[in-house]
Amino acid sequence: MSIGREEVRHVARLAELAVREDELDRLVEQLNRIVDYVAQLDQVPADATSEPFLPGPHSVALREDTPAPVPLRHPPADFAPEFVDGFFLVPRHGAMEEE
Amino acid sequence: MTWETVIGLEVHVQLDTRSKMFCGCRTTFGDPPNTNVCPVCLGLPGALPVPNAEAVRIGARAAMALGCMVHPRSVFARKNYFYPDLPKGYQISQFDQPLATGGRLTFESPDRGKIDVGITRLHLEEDAGKLIHDRYPGKTAVDLNRAGIPLAEIVSEPDLRSPAEARAYLGVLRQILVYARASECSMEQGSLRVDANISIRRAGDARLGTKAEVKNLNSFANVERALEAEHTRQIALIESGQRVQQVTLLFNAGTGRVKPLRSKEESHDYRYFPDPDLPPLVLSSTWVEEQRAALPEMPEARRGRLERAFALSAYDARVLTSESVLADYFEAVVSAGVEPKVAANWLMGDVMATFNESGGFPVSAAALAQLVALVRDGVVSHQAAKRIYTELVRSPREEPKTVAERLGLVQVSDQNALAGWVDEVIAAHPGEVSRFRDGEGKLMAFFVGQVMKRSKGKADPKGVQPVLAERLRQ
Amino acid sequence: MTAAADAARVTGERLAAADAAGLNAALHWSQRLLDAEAARVDERGAGGALASMPIAIKDNIVTAEQPTTCASRILEGYTSPFTATAVDRLRGAGAMIAAKTNLDEFAMGSSTEHSAYGRVRHPLDADRVPGGSSGGSAALVAAGVVPAALGSETGGSVRQPASFCGVVGVKPSYGRVSRYGLVAFGSSLDCISVLGRTVDDATKVLSAMSGADPLDATTLDRPPMPMPVARADLRGLRVGLPREYFPADLHPGVSAAMQRTREAILDLGADVCDVSLPHTPYAVPTYYIVAPAEAAANLARFDGVRYGPRKVGPGGDIRALYQATRGEGFGAEVRRRILVGTYVLSAGYYDAYYRKAQRVRALIADDFRRAFALGVDLLLTPTTPTPAFRAGEKTDDPVAMYLADIFVCAVSLAGLPALSLPVGRSEGLPVGAQIIAPFFEEELMLSAAAAIERTVPATAEAR
Repeated sequence: MSIGREEVRHVARLAELAVREDELDRLVEQLNRIVDYVAQLDQVPADATSEPFLPGPHSVALREDTPAPVPLRHPPADFAPEFVDGFFLVPRHGAMEEE
Repeated sequence: MTWETVIGLEVHVQLDTRSKMFCGCRTTFGDPPNTNVCPVCLGLPGALPVPNAEAVRIGARAAMALGCMVHPRSVFARKNYFYPDLPKGYQISQFDQPLATGGRLTFESPDRGKIDVGITRLHLEEDAGKLIHDRYPGKTAVDLNRAGIPLAEIVSEPDLRSPAEARAYLGVLRQILVYARASECSMEQGSLRVDANISIRRAGDARLGTKAEVKNLNSFANVERALEAEHTRQIALIESGQRVQQVTLLFNAGTGRVKPLRSKEESHDYRYFPDPDLPPLVLSSTWVEEQRAALPEMPEARRGRLERAFALSAYDARVLTSESVLADYFEAVVSAGVEPKVAANWLMGDVMATFNESGGFPVSAAALAQLVALVRDGVVSHQAAKRIYTELVRSPREEPKTVAERLGLVQVSDQNALAGWVDEVIAAHPGEVSRFRDGEGKLMAFFVGQVMKRSKGKADPKGVQPVLAERLRQ
Repeated sequence: MTAAADAARVTGERLAAADAAGLNAALHWSQRLLDAEAARVDERGAGGALASMPIAIKDNIVTAEQPTTCASRILEGYTSPFTATAVDRLRGAGAMIAAKTNLDEFAMGSSTEHSAYGRVRHPLDADRVPGGSSGGSAALVAAGVVPAALGSETGGSVRQPASFCGVVGVKPSYGRVSRYGLVAFGSSLDCISVLGRTVDDATKVLSAMSGADPLDATTLDRPPMPMPVARADLRGLRVGLPREYFPADLHPGVSAAMQRTREAILDLGADVCDVSLPHTPYAVPTYYIVAPAEAAANLARFDGVRYGPRKVGPGGDIRALYQATRGEGFGAEVRRRILVGTYVLSAGYYDAYYRKAQRVRALIADDFRRAFALGVDLLLTPTTPTPAFRAGEKTDDPVAMYLADIFVCAVSLAGLPALSLPVGRSEGLPVGAQIIAPFFEEELMLSAAAAIERTVPATAEAR
């Protein structure tokens, strides 16, 4: 076992995912199974200096600086969970700032 | 015990583009909330970023103006964290392969004379949205018009040694960025924002102390105030035997105090990795050299040139080059035919006052040149010219000559008209006339003043005196 | 009645029949929308390469008319305010959108059992899975509801279900088709791909939607793929059989079908040779680092702030909103992958996992490059190690499920084009052969596949 309960809790916090206490043990077991499985890459001698693999173009094509937004076929009010006076609303996020 | 303060600054400046960093939305300031948004900057499922060529160009220009090396290959990376102003849950930034590194800024420190401050790096990134906390009870409102606006983050080495020095650095940095036409650097519109890292150590100690990061610094004055406050706090901590914690602090401009923002270590685990939506940014050396060649003249060079070309004093040249637009205006006025010293006087007087008030030059360089010519040709007095200038600021489309006529400020130098006013004055002041004739020569100024008054300022003072002298002799 | 209106009516009847049979392959469709598509085709006139062809779209590709849920609770009720470039291009060629199809939630899975809206049944055996994650699209094509459907590939999600369902599945080169409008899973791997009744149907669809897109910086600046010139045989071609893809314990039915395909290729005049892709065993572990890492970031945008249903947990603050919205909105497999992806990128682990995986990925891509450089034109492998497995067989062990993709993952990591072609059956279940081509050599791959398709009996039992 390389990942413990605390580590799973920590990663879940980073990912902002609620994890119930009663599912934690099973998650710990499954994540260990996965991480142990992928850890077999340790056996591969890989050249530390090699360039990372790029599947697509080797340099990015840039866009001209012309205002031309893709139009929205439905306004934000149609898909937003809470939208007032043109603003998306969320619970007061003070709690995030003070901690 | 003497303490040395060590400060490094991270400055975020908005790059002056018409569209956002990774999408075609407008960058207009002050539009209604969430109107300059599209699938990309709303972080909608399926949307993809495409970088703005102009943002890259401007970023490279800013980097070269700061003496940085612009790298032939840089990489966009995702900086992962959750915040309601960050639509994708990550910010597209640059991490281990930034656009440019290794620059230097030389300037006059208020404490140490001329110093060099290293520029660690300049990288491109996108801005977050705006949060409004006080409009809806219990709610935070999110406006994403600003989300995705192109920014350059400019990180300095920890080479600054006092809050005042940090402030001076910012002033010079801002001047260079404006000169390079990279950014308007308007703090009011949030187009220049500063985070500061500060630590203290015993004088002579080579090791750096634990640093604190101060965020939310929205004016140069507040940077200095916040750093003073934090510097005092850290010294008090250490002198009372405690230790400085690595924290992020928020400056409250109202109370002048700093308070901790976040301390959880995971807040800093940004899990950077190369953004798979964006291949590397590859810039050819030809392209880089083209940008370098197109770089506008920087303040130091321009100051020197103005001094030499127009025989200005060092002081005048410094004031005139403090803002590139001011220097542009000066050169335009001179090329419209105004003598450099006269132009400098105008600029450093009335024009500067208007500029400080309005941020612009409502009177065109050509109009100012015409006005100066009216004074030179004796058509209006210098006093009258100042009134005409004020009027032109209000009504910039009028010609100076027309304004002079409309306000009745054209000087009269016609001998007969002048003689009429002079005769009236002599008749009205027999006592002063006899005292003058008895040798009280300084009364001449009194008579000139009286003539000007009687002519309602229209008499040409240069023409008045000979007429007065002639009549008083009789 | 116009051809389009007729196609809309027939497609509606077939979708209704598939629903009635409990296939659970279509998530969103209606006769009203089908009729609107037909009216649009008629209004546009002018035919087109896909004139009046009904095409089903995997529900992780956005369309402004139908909902897009990615088979997740977190997007329940969401309708995108824009349409994917690929879909716009299909419509531009005269196609009509038939339905949005079921998938493993956010395309994470190999059986289409991980859908918040229920599993998709295999059209030939309701107890079996159709493969995944594009199981809904594969099942609709296999059931004869539509001649073609769009799926998406991140690590084999079109080829594997194509193989299980006995249809053609084509994954283009990375950068050949715009990803704009494909809900991102693993951005460096994702490809909109095609499922077709025949190689020709799939080829037409791929040709219509391919080509550079200014809205996707990872597309290559190349024109759309032309329709390949048909070839009567495979004379002059050299086909490599990578030995790592033919293990001794390969399923006997799969083995027999591959043997028959090999003989057919020889009969068509091609040379066949043995090659080696030595890093093949590392493809799945590499994939399960790269894809979850990218997914963890890609799925951060589902935070309940701007769209999708919102849940607020205890405390009622923004964190409670995030954690409840995401904790309850994502299913078990998606949550597992987000956690793994977050873990491999987190402080202290990045080098050991993510950086290492990127290096191994380069080695895997090199294996292919070397094989093609040695004079091999195409590679031939089985698409999957076994025919379709039973529902529930692998849901308890995530790694066992991952290994269902053992023959398709490496190609995705290398960004190469590949397809799965039905080459026979084993105990009534379809078996697929995979053809892999060099980067941007789709035309060669498709013309060769069409020739093999003509000679290998796709629905005959292989012995």
